[in-house]
Amino acid sequence: MELAIGIILGCCALGAGICMGIGAVGPGIGEGNAVSKACEAIGRQPESKSAVTSTMIMGCAIAETTGIYSLVIAILLIFVAPNVMVNVLKSAIGL
Amino acid sequence: MKKIDPVVLKETKYIALWTLIFSALLQSVFLVIGKWDYTVLLGNLLTGVAVVANFFVMAMDVVRAVEKEEKEAKQTMKLSSSLRLLALGLVVMVGALLPNCFNLWAVLIPLLFPRAAILIRPLWDRKKGREEAEHEE
Repeated sequence: MELAIGIILGCCALGAGICMGIGAVGPGIGEGNAVSKACEAIGRQPESKSAVTSTMIMGCAIAETTGIYSLVIAILLIFVAPNVMVNVLKSAIGL
Repeated sequence: MKKIDPVVLKETKYIALWTLIFSALLQSVFLVIGKWDYTVLLGNLLTGVAVVANFFVMAMDVVRAVEKEEKEAKQTMKLSSSLRLLALGLVVMVGALLPNCFNLWAVLIPLLFPRAAILIRPLWDRKKGREEAEHEE
């Protein structure tokens, strides 16, 4: 029983780590690329700065959502999933 | 002190308004299902303020980054994104580690409000455009 609970906790922690590790990289790269292209566009057409900035802000917010999703999943894996899994395990073996 | 760009203010106001509306909706859902207590309100307040602050800082960073060189702008946004995600993670950890003060679901759900606000943006813009056209007529 202790071994099973240990495996569940370990897998949850590992899953949360992988989730945040992969999920946090994407938004940074995406936002960086988008803003660098926006700089290029503003350099070419300085009069469109306001429109480009407004679109960029919303675009960056959307790009960041994936990071926030992974944060939510990681928190659920750390704080909610272990209890649920252990309860399922206990009910399965009739404790 | 550096002046805040009007675009940043406008977008932040929009996100703050919708976060407020969605927060009221979340509170009413908790009331309806009979699970409302002060921890739900505190949790919602904690993350609601954090997501609006996160959006504001991101918008300020975008405005600052587009004035720089391409490579520098890229680095600035990467750093900003990592730091903001870390700060948001810390806020959520505080919410999750103090179950007597904050309800976990009320802490997690408001993280998704800005995305929902952006999703309904086209509808909002269309309605506003229609109202303006009617006003002009």
